[in-house]
Amino acid sequence: MKFGKRLKKQIEDTIPEWRDKFLAYKDLKKLVKLMSITPSSSTDLKVEEEFIHLLNSEIDKFNGFFMEQEEEFIIRLRELKERIQSVISTAHEQSEAVYAAEMWRLRKDIVNFHGEMVLLENYSSINYTGLAKILKKYDKRTGGLLRLPFIEKVLKQPFFTTDLISKLVKECEDTIEQVFEVPQENAKLGRPEVVAEEGAEQSIFRNTVAALVTMREMRKGSSTYGRFSLPPMSLPDIDLAQHLQLPSPIPS
Amino acid sequence: MEARSSLAMQKSDIKQLCSSRVPSVMSSSLPVLPALEERYPALPDSQQVSMERELRSEPVTSCHTPFISNSGSIGPLFSSAPGFSSDLHFSSVAPIDRQTITTPLVSQSSKSGMWFPAQLHSGASQTSLNNFARESPDVSWPPVSLQGVIDNSGAVTNQVQSNCIMVSDDKQDDIWSDLIADEWKELLNDPNSTDTQPKEPYSLGQASSNISAHRPQTHLAVPSHSGEHYAATSPTSGTNNASAKPRMRWTPELHECFVEAVNQLGGSEKATPKGVLKLMKVDGLTIYHVKSHLQKYRTARYRPDSSEGTSEKKVSLIEGVSSLDLKTGIEITEALRLQMEVQKRLHEQLEIQRNLQLRIEEQGRYLQMMFEQQCKTGMDKLKASPSQSSDPTGLTQTVEAAPSDSVSAKPTESLEQKKTTENEPENIDILDEAHPPPKRLKGAEHDLQ
Repeated sequence: MKFGKRLKKQIEDTIPEWRDKFLAYKDLKKLVKLMSITPSSSTDLKVEEEFIHLLNSEIDKFNGFFMEQEEEFIIRLRELKERIQSVISTAHEQSEAVYAAEMWRLRKDIVNFHGEMVLLENYSSINYTGLAKILKKYDKRTGGLLRLPFIEKVLKQPFFTTDLISKLVKECEDTIEQVFEVPQENAKLGRPEVVAEEGAEQSIFRNTVAALVTMREMRKGSSTYGRFSLPPMSLPDIDLAQHLQLPSPIPS
Repeated sequence: MEARSSLAMQKSDIKQLCSSRVPSVMSSSLPVLPALEERYPALPDSQQVSMERELRSEPVTSCHTPFISNSGSIGPLFSSAPGFSSDLHFSSVAPIDRQTITTPLVSQSSKSGMWFPAQLHSGASQTSLNNFARESPDVSWPPVSLQGVIDNSGAVTNQVQSNCIMVSDDKQDDIWSDLIADEWKELLNDPNSTDTQPKEPYSLGQASSNISAHRPQTHLAVPSHSGEHYAATSPTSGTNNASAKPRMRWTPELHECFVEAVNQLGGSEKATPKGVLKLMKVDGLTIYHVKSHLQKYRTARYRPDSSEGTSEKKVSLIEGVSSLDLKTGIEITEALRLQMEVQKRLHEQLEIQRNLQLRIEEQGRYLQMMFEQQCKTGMDKLKASPSQSSDPTGLTQTVEAAPSDSVSAKPTESLEQKKTTENEPENIDILDEAHPPPKRLKGAEHDLQ
């Protein structure tokens, strides 16, 4: 239930519009519980069907949401870049104050945008983890072999192939360098509005931190460590005992 | 509606073509194949004749259902495609290099297009081809003739599928999706054989056909860019779901193309989906895609605009609070920087985690495969000669003792012990690389790529 709780917390903390796009872990667990140890009866088959059906529809949901977000990010990144160009190029035309204001807003927007993209990556990761876990539970309960082929397919799904988002994030980071490099003589002109609009970035920031913490927690240790478990995260500023994570099948 | 008129136009083209060369089977509502005429000449006559014969013998739908999508796009088209392309040998396009597949349309006239949805993921189609070769012996298409076609052409274009893609007509889709459902199911011996593993009790067949539907992707033959465009559509969960929800996977390049087209038409306000679609000339793109993308584009442009419109207000605000600003400015910068740091960190970690997950799964698959192989050879050896050396016997004992879970630790561990000496540098590498600190992983990451 640990994962379930963590997932729930992540959902609570996440961007509101995203809340219903996460894995229906609880429902899937309920189905697993309904399965008997040896899948023999007809009700078992029905439950299994429902389970698979739910898994598939969840995957569809992820894919749909993910690709839409991806599309939007592509559009917005380009727009941001254009904005930067236009602000920088028209800098001499405007007063310092206006320029400063625009730069500030630009910076804030970009950083938030970056955050959103990373949160999408996190979304993908969390859902994948949930799928892997629930499949493992299923196999454990029924002695079945659903997990392996299913996971193989999941790995190829759009929502898990986050290479494009990764690329966008890197681009964004490079662009941010650009934006923050701009001479800071405008530092003396602050932006009061920033304080007012902090809602958005605070939530993104909070989500990001929450995501990191959750990740760390999830990988810290588990009673069911196996070949498919991830090693603990190695964040340099987080103190973790280093011990062997993956049980090595190859004897020393 | 544009889609309909283009459809009609293509139909008449096809009728023309059909009357000359193609069996009458094809003359029914095909949204397809102005390419037909080009394709047929490429075939040696005998092959063509045999193809025609085969066409005639197959149900009507065999020719054109692949082009239909449940939802006006390529996706569900491919969802059934793994099934029939494998059965009909069209996945023999597999050997063709990815580069050639996205050859721009200019080459249209010279190539004999594989009219079937070329499974452009050579991996996927390779599997389906293999499966096909193994499992559907009684399909009548001789592989040889098609190989000949491919060899002749040397390249596969999407021309055919591109031409047919402009079907965003829902009504027709409904009809065709029904056709797919019914006729193909009886046509195929084992509709879901290509992507499922043989585990009957789990009705995986059904599930996997669904899942396999997720996988296929089409490449758009965009003139400017090759090899990087995907129009992956995510299928709806029901196989017969005729809801028009094509999902396209946009890329930055495609978006660039889009923006150019929009600018040519005078900006996001003036541009119409129809116009943009025409200008872009991208295969696989439907007006529906363009419409929704345009909407998103407009929204994205208007949000920053509206806030920038109030710049005068801002100026006055700013000028009013000059004295405290130095501190605020610095604080804000710091806050932003901190936020960036955390975000970057999370991104890094996610990447690492994802790579780990991929490799773990890969390793798992590998072990599974080894295990199965070993099982098999163990069984064979046992059958062959009961009084063997200790090794195989020991192994089979282990095998027999293994619980039903195929990936359980024990047997594979002993398997590992036996195999270690033999041939697993790869495996060891993978395992080692799973452990290391992020730095090394990043290096390995490059290897993977």
